[in-house]
Amino acid sequence: MTDHRSVTVRASQSDRSTRIAGWLGAAREGSEDALGQIVADLSPLLWQVARSAGLSSGDAEDVLQTVWMRLVAHLDDIHDSAALVGWLVTTAKREAWRVRATGRRLLPADRDLLAELPDEGPGSEEQVILDDQRRRLWTAIGQLSARCQELLRIVAFAPRPDYAAVAAALGMPVGSIGPTRGRCLAKLRALLASDPAGNSL
Amino acid sequence: MIPPDPRRLPSADDPLDEADFGLLGGIRELYQATDPMPADLPERIRFSLALRDLEIEMARLAEEDQLTVAARGMEQSRTITFDSDSLTIMIRIEANRDETARVDGWLAPPQSRDIEMKTTAGSLTVASDGQGRFAFARVPHGTAQLIVAPAHHGPAGAGRSVVTPALIL
Repeated sequence: MTDHRSVTVRASQSDRSTRIAGWLGAAREGSEDALGQIVADLSPLLWQVARSAGLSSGDAEDVLQTVWMRLVAHLDDIHDSAALVGWLVTTAKREAWRVRATGRRLLPADRDLLAELPDEGPGSEEQVILDDQRRRLWTAIGQLSARCQELLRIVAFAPRPDYAAVAAALGMPVGSIGPTRGRCLAKLRALLASDPAGNSL
Repeated sequence: MIPPDPRRLPSADDPLDEADFGLLGGIRELYQATDPMPADLPERIRFSLALRDLEIEMARLAEEDQLTVAARGMEQSRTITFDSDSLTIMIRIEANRDETARVDGWLAPPQSRDIEMKTTAGSLTVASDGQGRFAFARVPHGTAQLIVAPAHHGPAGAGRSVVTPALIL
């Protein structure tokens, strides 16, 4: 039962990269619809890139608009899902730094993850209720270095076959997360294992 | 199957396993719950990309202020400034009583250009005067985008359209 489910999940994950590659080809041929599909699929990833750089919601939206506009000019140079995801993450990160350097509407740099919850934006007024497992995971993530937190937050939104491309785009060593687990996930698992209630995750 | 040895910590050099994928799934759920992307953002981006075939210069959001004009009741007024390489566009948005918005704008350096307001309901076009002033009296609420048409004559660099990011009126 469990095996069947994990195989299904794995298949749908590599399907995602295949779908993106298909849309990429169609977008290069001028398909607005295919470009729209890519935007819908990968914008949540870029949102996390911009927000983890400490930008306000408004600035994060500007960063995404700029990145997608630039992609259109570079479509002919990008030929597969990993290259696309790597290019998007790199460009979003650079653009976020550029915006942040202007010092506008910068959120206070607070290392406490719970304090980084957005204070504006749709739905944020609703109290987010985390169950015990989620709260333990949240606490363990908060004990990681800022670099590891950023890496895992962003990789979690990437298509699985493109993890290594994302790690490389974030300036993390090759293999940080790719074929191998990398030290950030290893550290997270060690933290959860040392929490007696955390093994059930 | 050999049960996992609880004393052995997971190594950074091991291949990713299902527990790792499960953790990453949990991390994604956490951030989706605590910091979700606005649901309508991809649609607004697609709206901007539909203009991509034009020869355009992108203007960036430079400043935004929201103020309530107490003397005029609780009407909200927003001023937004966009910068591009050749042009600064400043607009003030005020709510009309009939569910539309009034948009007053200025171009700097001052110049006369055709200015289009693209909305989901269609396009409105006005021209700025010699001082760079322009106004849209009634713009429907929703997604909108300003496009400053290329100048017919004038300084070098004025030959391109200038486009703002999509904004919500």
